[in-house]
Amino acid sequence: MQTSWIVGLHHATALLYLAAGALAGAGMALSQLRLVRASVATLGAGAILHAACFSLIHVVEGTPSLTDAPSAISFMAWIGVLAFLLLLRRARLAGLLVLVAPMAFLGVFYASLRLSWVEQAPAAETGSVPHAHVLLASAGLALLGLSGLSGALFLAEHRRIKRKRALGGKSGLPSLEALNRVNAVALAVGFPLLTLGVITGALWVEALHGSPWQGSLHEIFTWIAWAIYAVLVVQRFGIRQGARPCAVSAIAGFGFLCFAVIGVGLFT
Amino acid sequence: MLRKLLASEEIDEAVLLSTCNRIEVVVLTRNADAARMRLGSFFRRDLAGSDDGAIARALDESLYEHRDGDAMRHVLRVTSALDSMVVGEPQILGQTKEAYRAAVECGASGPILDRLFQRAFATAKRVRNDTRIAEGSVSVARVAVSLARQIFEELEDKRALLVGAGEMIEMALAALRDNGLQRAAVANRTAERAARLAVEFGATAHGLDELPALLVESDVVLTCIGGDRPILTREVVKTALHARRSSPMFIIDIGVPRNVDPAIDEFDEVYRYDIDDLVGVANENAEERRREMVRAEAIVAEEQQRFDGWFTALRAVPTIKHLRSRVEAMRSAEVERALARLDLPEAERSAVEALTRAIVNKILHTPLSRLRQEAEREEGMAYLEVARLLFGLDEPGGDDSQSDGARSESEDSDPT
Repeated sequence: MQTSWIVGLHHATALLYLAAGALAGAGMALSQLRLVRASVATLGAGAILHAACFSLIHVVEGTPSLTDAPSAISFMAWIGVLAFLLLLRRARLAGLLVLVAPMAFLGVFYASLRLSWVEQAPAAETGSVPHAHVLLASAGLALLGLSGLSGALFLAEHRRIKRKRALGGKSGLPSLEALNRVNAVALAVGFPLLTLGVITGALWVEALHGSPWQGSLHEIFTWIAWAIYAVLVVQRFGIRQGARPCAVSAIAGFGFLCFAVIGVGLFT
Repeated sequence: MLRKLLASEEIDEAVLLSTCNRIEVVVLTRNADAARMRLGSFFRRDLAGSDDGAIARALDESLYEHRDGDAMRHVLRVTSALDSMVVGEPQILGQTKEAYRAAVECGASGPILDRLFQRAFATAKRVRNDTRIAEGSVSVARVAVSLARQIFEELEDKRALLVGAGEMIEMALAALRDNGLQRAAVANRTAERAARLAVEFGATAHGLDELPALLVESDVVLTCIGGDRPILTREVVKTALHARRSSPMFIIDIGVPRNVDPAIDEFDEVYRYDIDDLVGVANENAEERRREMVRAEAIVAEEQQRFDGWFTALRAVPTIKHLRSRVEAMRSAEVERALARLDLPEAERSAVEALTRAIVNKILHTPLSRLRQEAEREEGMAYLEVARLLFGLDEPGGDDSQSDGARSESEDSDPT
């Protein structure tokens, strides 16, 4: 009964995220700020439903491990949406929803297709370290994803302004400064979370195999991704690289991180 | 002025609209030719101050007139800013609302113009919401501000540098100020002019030799100064960018010839727009507005049709009132006759009254509704004539409702 509720909530959440993306897209294309505002409200409703979904999982499982890919991806989408909604309170970022909502939809939709995790959570993986690893790494990934998405929109906007193309007054697109700030804030919060996720991951491996390093592809690529982000953090906050190279690096870094954390896991 | 106009018997309702490039009087009249003469005299005497002479002749050349449907359409177009110098400008709606409010306050606007202006405001709202007619800046200064807001989140915490002190610089600075920019520095060859502009806008005045240092602190740079060679060269900007630790700069070069070396476009953090770029953007926006005119005109036509329907339907009012009073007279006569023959207590007499009234209302409801609907169409006149013929409303003795021809003016009134 509760499982069917979780499935239903997940489907509804995916639908709301999709609707939010569609509304935002239509609002931007038609320059209708009312539609863009409606898309923000729809995304907020989706986030609330998503929270209800995780609450129900806790009721079903006590403390869920969430260590399977669908759970982690769903959680990542939720954190990404929450972080975006928080940042939205500080800057004119509604236009970024065009990218955030579809990404969140894809994550939740993928998770909703594999909703068997509720009954099949492996007993060996429960416990605080795996749980912390998944939560921290997913949250880090979500924020670094937000950094990458803002970087992508920054590049598009930067290119348009550099090319001297006209834009309607009510476009609702975020300013370059706001996008750059999101990029920086998401990196500043996401990198420490990723670091903690990598550390707890090593502790988990040690608990399972007696050594923190097993040399798996997942471990190797994750550490490379972490090193890339470490360089990026130094570039942005240390040597104060410009906004455009930072945007490019954020996209490239997130692409590699996705491959390292999700891609390698799926293909091996 | 409105009271003066209303004092003349040929004008029933009036609204006086004044915008930056026009003065218009919208009137409801039963005698369009007499009203035209009255309005001509009003413009010459009350506005130009003389009934003859050069001013009056010049004024005559500027006068224009719309009647009937044209007049209705014109009011809707003006209110929706489709007839403005700058198509889609937002001020016109406020000016029209103000004109209407003034007319209502002095009792110059009646039921017809009330309805027309309410329809005009609804039309303007639809045009604004459903089209992009008011989008995109069409002046160079506004385009500069719009671009600045696409680069910077807020202008409040930004600093502007103005190189030159001419009119264009002043306009652009005023537009930036209107959008929250607070800190500015003016650099010019002539210290006095820089100081004048600086005082006016609460900025600081500087000489051109301070440019490199000022550039480091400036987020928005406006240049419009004479000279054969660019004053902001690639090297100067590169040095400033280095010192600014890659913070973005928006450089607006309004000078002819150019004041800024276009080679600085290679720097990622510099967004340079010259006068041709700004005019290009403004023209693109203006072109977009012109394209939107087609959609806006369709909305106006739709709304005009709606108002026209209501206005035309007013023709049915005298016939409907006449018919109602004729049937009511018949009913009350028959009831009176019947009650005289019956000895009924008061409660039952009232019941009979109510019963007959309800029957009459039910019988009349459908034909009268249909008459109202049909009267909204041009062909509806035939239905009115048939109704008058069937019920003998035009026959002698059928004028028992002459007193209710209150709205009879609607049959021959024109908003002009």
